Amino acid sequence: MSCWRSASSAIRLRPAVCSIALAIALATSLLLGLALPLAAQSPDGQLWGQDTANRIQALALTADGGRVVIGSRDNTLRVLDSSGELIGQFEAENSISGVDISPDGQWLAVASEDRFVYLLDGDGNALWKHKASRPMNNAAVASDGSLVAATSDDLTVYVLDGEGNIVWQEVLGIGVEAVDIYGSGEQARVVVGSSDGLITIYSRTGKALLQAGLDYSVQSVSVTPNGARILAGTEDGTAILLNGANGDEIWRFEAEDTIVGVALAADSSTALVGSEDGSAYLLAGDGTLTHRFRQDDDVLSVALAGDGSRLAIGTIAGAARYYDRAAAVAGAAQSTAQRQRLIFILVGVFALLILLATWAARNTASGQLIYQRSAAGPIGLLQTMWRARLSYLLILPTLLLLLTFNYYPAFSGLYHAFTKWSPGVSTEWVGFANFEFLLEDRFFLSGFRNAGILVVVSIIKTMTFPLLVAEFIFNVRNKFSQYWFRTLFVVPIVLPAVVEILVWNNIYDPAIGLLNESLKLFGLENLTRVWYGDASVSLGAIIFIGVPWVNAFALLIFYGGLISISNEIIDASLVDGASTWRRFWTIDLPLLMGQIKLLLILNFINAVQTFELVFLTTGGGPGAATYTPALELYYLAMRMDRMGVASAIGMILFLIILAGTIINMRYVRSSTEYEA
Amino acid sequence: MVSAQGQKESEQPLPVTGDNQSGETEGGSMYASTSLFRAPKFNAGQIILYAILIILLFITFIPILYLIVLALKDNGQIYGRFWSLPNPYRWVNFTLGSLAIWRSILNSILTSGTSTTATVVLASLSGYVFARHRFPGKEMLYTGILALLMIPPILTLIPAYVLILNMGLENTYWALILPWTSGGQVFALLLCRSFFATLPEEFFDAARIDGASELQSFIRIAVPLSAPILVTVAVVRLVTTYNQFMWPLVVISSPKRQVVAVALTQFTSEIGVTDLGPQMAGYILAAIPLIVLFSFGMRHYVRGLTAGGLKA
Repeated sequence: MSCWRSASSAIRLRPAVCSIALAIALATSLLLGLALPLAAQSPDGQLWGQDTANRIQALALTADGGRVVIGSRDNTLRVLDSSGELIGQFEAENSISGVDISPDGQWLAVASEDRFVYLLDGDGNALWKHKASRPMNNAAVASDGSLVAATSDDLTVYVLDGEGNIVWQEVLGIGVEAVDIYGSGEQARVVVGSSDGLITIYSRTGKALLQAGLDYSVQSVSVTPNGARILAGTEDGTAILLNGANGDEIWRFEAEDTIVGVALAADSSTALVGSEDGSAYLLAGDGTLTHRFRQDDDVLSVALAGDGSRLAIGTIAGAARYYDRAAAVAGAAQSTAQRQRLIFILVGVFALLILLATWAARNTASGQLIYQRSAAGPIGLLQTMWRARLSYLLILPTLLLLLTFNYYPAFSGLYHAFTKWSPGVSTEWVGFANFEFLLEDRFFLSGFRNAGILVVVSIIKTMTFPLLVAEFIFNVRNKFSQYWFRTLFVVPIVLPAVVEILVWNNIYDPAIGLLNESLKLFGLENLTRVWYGDASVSLGAIIFIGVPWVNAFALLIFYGGLISISNEIIDASLVDGASTWRRFWTIDLPLLMGQIKLLLILNFINAVQTFELVFLTTGGGPGAATYTPALELYYLAMRMDRMGVASAIGMILFLIILAGTIINMRYVRSSTEYEA
Repeated sequence: MVSAQGQKESEQPLPVTGDNQSGETEGGSMYASTSLFRAPKFNAGQIILYAILIILLFITFIPILYLIVLALKDNGQIYGRFWSLPNPYRWVNFTLGSLAIWRSILNSILTSGTSTTATVVLASLSGYVFARHRFPGKEMLYTGILALLMIPPILTLIPAYVLILNMGLENTYWALILPWTSGGQVFALLLCRSFFATLPEEFFDAARIDGASELQSFIRIAVPLSAPILVTVAVVRLVTTYNQFMWPLVVISSPKRQVVAVALTQFTSEIGVTDLGPQMAGYILAAIPLIVLFSFGMRHYVRGLTAGGLKA
């Protein structure tokens, strides 16, 4: 602002120095903001992960997270320490469906589909087992090992003492798979959640002490050691925290799909919710989302250490991952910092632009003219602007729309190309990591090569057949035939673009397609093949679509160019005795350069972004044979949630198109140069 | 330099299909002078020319003929007698096909129509302002808008999708209408501004003397005079949005709200039609809005694309 003030004063030197200094300061701070190094750390604060081929159906952690119990579908229960080293192992007769560990790690209750519930000691030795009539689906153990509760697919809750003697059992007659125990000794309480949405707290002797009703089937419950808070996850994707004293709801959290597991820290200050939407949500004590751990597949089980410091997530694909909560939260905070930095950069760019405008107004001829015309100084400018308020008002809707839906996404895309981007959750600056990933991504590399081929082919396609046909029609002498040829060649434009591709899909159909049937008809059966499925011909098949490539639009443009060639020139060439062939090369082609240039650039831009043509035909296959960058972008963003990498592809394509456009504008000469 | 070419282009009567030009069929005046120097008789060269054109025409039409033949057969005829013509003609395929896609065709017409209307209104307004008003920062804003021509849709696809998600608009018509309205304006503004700039200043002076307000002179003078260019913008936008595939695929998930370009590709999976005949009939039906549009708007379409491309 001070620059503005002094700008209106008579001294010319000072404001110039002032603005240059300011510009340098701003540019430096911008560069600093961009280049600020970030502490290297693994994503989400993951400490270790193990991939097995079998789904992880049960997980449990001790109070300090020092022991991790992983129960998987291969009948094995593994006990690991906090660094992921195997300590003990236990084999059941069938899949492990549920597990619980006492806070000190001395007792383990295991439910298995072999119909047994087992109590193990800290070393993984079975102390006893109890059988139900159907597979057990979950189990819980009291902190002193004196009470074990198990739920079974036979719709019954079994409660046993430390020696394996049944204390009580109750046939609920309805699905039940959520169970937890709090307290110890005589004060131990069993919490059971069932498919009718009821959560019941039983005393050690089986007396129902409290009942709370939820709207949907309860999939999982977790209770604090003092019983003050109960976290329940339901089938509709809601996690609800209840007050253990009266059953009142304290908060609720909505996931996108069924909740499969919940875990609550001892002081209820942290909660972890696993959902079939493929994420585990780390919640704060008030139920707000702290971090979303996105997994590649459905989450099947979650566990949280009693002190909330560590957590574990198991997925349907057999991955068990162990995280440090503090690191994960720090990562989230870091993404907030990123956002602040982005705002900072934007404000900086804006300030730079203003500064640039000021500079232009002072130091360039046209700028000074505008500056003078808008009276002296900012007040005069504001007055002029106010007088033109109607103009601004009328273009406001246009500008707002363009800013929202065109400018913002463009800049957002360029920025997020350098981030690990999980919209709504976190944005982490990763520098050039996305581009490095793409250099290793064989789908992208194959796509890049194919895009190159498609660009060349598409340019050849438009420069040959439409031009030839236009020239042929132009040379047909009968005007009636000329009109009809022109019309008929343009008719296919009425088919929606996707229909042409879909019809060609049918032509290539291996079972009953026109192409294979024709080949059979001519006795060329050995040439028939699965056109899209054969890597050696699939790209060729895609390129062949639309043969003979008389693109209606290109034809009309060329033809329009031909009939606009001045008759005098053509007549003169005829008088000089030029053949049609010679006329084509020396007159028509040079005068069509404007059209050629236009079609070149339009085809280049479209071919670089090829998507439908492969998405609707081969889908990129077989293997990576027919990928294009746009297709890989779509898959990465929509199927793998890798928005940052997808943005990086977008940026690369943008730069390529930009370069192509500039080259085309500079080096392809337009017809006007020939006209003189 | 380039725009001079564009100017020249738009003054020339461009090739047109459709019956509105059928008066020209017998030796239209615009070809007269080329034919002066040519013998009206057929010679060998002409016959070869005809032969090549007819062969190319036939190959071009194979997929369309194939589509029509399949649309009139049932699965038994297709698999049993592949090479025979439809017998009997299965007109019911068109009924079945239309049942499956009428809704998505309506969705397409609704979203294309709404966004095109909005584009035309907004672009003509701001084109008028940019052509005839003087205000500080005008050229800067205009350059800023034109710069958007350099942004390919692939760059904005994902960020725009996230934007739509954040606005809670995914799976609504707005997710199509708003971005299409916005995106179409750049090109439309370009055409409108250059057209408005050619209107003589005297018209507006006269109107001002008669006491017309800015808005009145826009609606009473500028819009009627610029009807051809507005129609051009409308036709180009309608065709472009009707053919859009990737954006609706990304932002619309419900088959009920899907546009026809995407719905056609989900025939079997979403709509449950497994017979080929009705599917092919659906493909043909999906072309009807374009047939209607092109039957009167082909000239505008080509002029719009050419002018937009050459001037950009």
